[in-house]
Amino acid sequence: MIPVIEVQDLRYRYHDGTEALRGVSFRVESGECVGLLGPNGSGKSTLLLHLNGILPEHGSADGLVRILGRTLEPENLPWVRQQVGLLFQDPDDQLFCATVAEDVAFGPRQLGLPEAEVQARLERALAAVGLSGLEDRATHHLSHGEKRRACLAGLLACEPAILVLDEPTSGLDPRGRRELKALLRRLPGTKLIATHDLELAVELCPRCLVLDQGRLVADGPTVDLLNDEALMLAHGLERPHILQHLHPHPNHV
Amino acid sequence: MLLPGHIHRPRSSGIHRWPAEWKFAGALVILLGTVVQSELTPLWFGPVWGLLMWVWWRSRLPVGFVMSRLLWLSPFVLAVALAGAWRPVGGPAWWVLACKAFTSLLTVVLLANTTPFSEMLRVFRRLRVPGLLLSTLALMHRYVFVLLEETERMRRARAGRTFRPGRSRLWQIQASVVGHLLIRALARASRIYQAMLARGWS
Amino acid sequence: MHIPDNFLDAKTVGVTGVLAAGAVAVALRQARQQLPPARVPLLGLSAAFLFAAQMVNFPVWGGTSGHLAGGTLVAALLGPAAAVVVMTAVLVVQCFLFADGGVTALGANILNLGVVGAMGGWLVFRAVSRWVGGLAGRVAGVAFGGWCSMVLAAAACALELAWSRTVALSVALPAMVGIHAVIGLGEGLISALVYHAVVRVRPDLAGLTADGRGDASLGPVWVWGLTVTFVLAVLVSPWASSWPDGLERVAETYGFAERAGAVAWAPLMDYEVPGVGWPVVAVGLAGLLGTLVVLGLAIWLGRWLVHSPRGKPGISEGSAGGGSA
Repeated sequence: MIPVIEVQDLRYRYHDGTEALRGVSFRVESGECVGLLGPNGSGKSTLLLHLNGILPEHGSADGLVRILGRTLEPENLPWVRQQVGLLFQDPDDQLFCATVAEDVAFGPRQLGLPEAEVQARLERALAAVGLSGLEDRATHHLSHGEKRRACLAGLLACEPAILVLDEPTSGLDPRGRRELKALLRRLPGTKLIATHDLELAVELCPRCLVLDQGRLVADGPTVDLLNDEALMLAHGLERPHILQHLHPHPNHV
Repeated sequence: MLLPGHIHRPRSSGIHRWPAEWKFAGALVILLGTVVQSELTPLWFGPVWGLLMWVWWRSRLPVGFVMSRLLWLSPFVLAVALAGAWRPVGGPAWWVLACKAFTSLLTVVLLANTTPFSEMLRVFRRLRVPGLLLSTLALMHRYVFVLLEETERMRRARAGRTFRPGRSRLWQIQASVVGHLLIRALARASRIYQAMLARGWS
Repeated sequence: MHIPDNFLDAKTVGVTGVLAAGAVAVALRQARQQLPPARVPLLGLSAAFLFAAQMVNFPVWGGTSGHLAGGTLVAALLGPAAAVVVMTAVLVVQCFLFADGGVTALGANILNLGVVGAMGGWLVFRAVSRWVGGLAGRVAGVAFGGWCSMVLAAAACALELAWSRTVALSVALPAMVGIHAVIGLGEGLISALVYHAVVRVRPDLAGLTADGRGDASLGPVWVWGLTVTFVLAVLVSPWASSWPDGLERVAETYGFAERAGAVAWAPLMDYEVPGVGWPVVAVGLAGLLGTLVVLGLAIWLGRWLVHSPRGKPGISEGSAGGGSA
């Protein structure tokens, strides 16, 4: 079974020379939902941008990145970007069209699909995220949660095999978080979710990766990782309270 | 100074629902026709004013709002009147110019406040305005409100830390706000570019 | 300085419209060639920035406040082509959304503020920043370029108004240029302060401009210098023939021609420029002197901003205090 995402010894430096990624390696199999944890500045967003070839800006990656068995190359980037749906951290960066309909239809139109198919995908995507009826709403008039869901609809309209999400619940109120978590649970396909929301990680991701200062410091079952208090504190995280009620660790009281 | 309050929030009315192409074409005819008039010929201005009044009434734009927009013209008209009194130049008399100018301004105000910006862009596209300029306009419109909010937040934050606002200090603060606004705008532009790439743009 | 509808007559509308369309087309092509691939959002966000920045108040006196026009600033940071496109977008939105500036006058407004203003400002910026050198030179260039852009735009505006027989040239030109010579001081100062604030945090943006690119290909400067010259020539040409008449009238009005003292000057004046009267020469010299004073102020401002100890925390000090390139 070829892994859906395969990363080997990935390295990346910023313009000013700081090392952002120092040899990251991991695999994600089909259908998995994997969490990506780590403190601010650990390189999570930088790593995610490598998964659809946006980084490095010029030339090929230092290290190996394979999506669905294919190494990332300039020739197959359009295909990769259709297979990997990347949700950005700030929905305002991703919702660059004037209306919801225009924005969700952007991806399918870039794929060159006939207009009838574009409309069909638009309706399906909006229905999937619960925004049907908001087609003509101006994007800057949406609430933060609605913007997030509109961005997600824009990705779903391209029918990607893999969803890569950068902090999907940040800035949402409790109800928004609940709704988004329920939505993510319903979505099929492989998912890689970078998040600070440790409850989200516990509820949705059986497996987690922990990134700190550009290095992958842990890769394993979520509950075990999060219960390892020493590991958590060493890498700017903490053991979430939810674990005490869901999965009491044998060594904890 | 111009504020978003100088645009009326779009309502629904007969005029609002007219296709933008008609409104543009009609406005252009009125504007060009008015420019070539050298006198206040009733044959032209009579029907034009009739039409404008009817459109204004049907569009249900508040009188006060439209009047305040028309008032913007007054300093220019005054300046021309004074200049004409000082050194006459042989063109149309200042009151003729004032009437023509008000006619044109009313036309554009009615057009602007009954036509959503996205429809204006559609008309521009049909007029073969180059794509790069169209995308610039579209993105500008999309993000100007975002940037205005950021400006306000920054201004308030800095004002909160300023205790003795001398004029020089205020200028430094405002310049700093504008400078950081530009930096954020440029950073956002590169993230938007990444988001465009991520969805297949090339 | 946004000219409303009907202040320009049909022929002026036509000529300025054609010139503006041509200049914008050239700018768009250059923008496609010179800007990085991310130019679409770059231009859009810069236009949004300019629009938002024009709403920031710089209190002057009493209730009045100044605002950034911004053409020279954008040109200094993103290049001349980008500045023309960005200014055009801002003017189009102001015209069609806010009725600020007439639709028929849009060509003239784009020409004045975008082409003559922003481009003229950029050319001055390049010249001054190269002559003075370093970051201080660039800041001085933005300051002086900002001032020049206002004065040049005002002059173009006056020429258009006079050509349309809306206002006499002898009133429009001194009034517009005089007023904007003062307003321009604010524009220059604000542009310089903002440029300095930006470049302290993002020194790479200073390298993005004229110096780095202009050296490689003389193309842009040559094209734009020619464009601005051409536009000004077109605007000035209706007057070239009537200037001697107008100025002779001025000379007669002031009764100078009859004065004995004029005799000594007469041969010189007849040889150099027919019909030029002493008042005009005096005004010209005063204008030149004033311009040199502003240039001096701009250079002083550049040096002061860059080299004075500012000690403001919270902004990256990595390049502050005179990052001379």
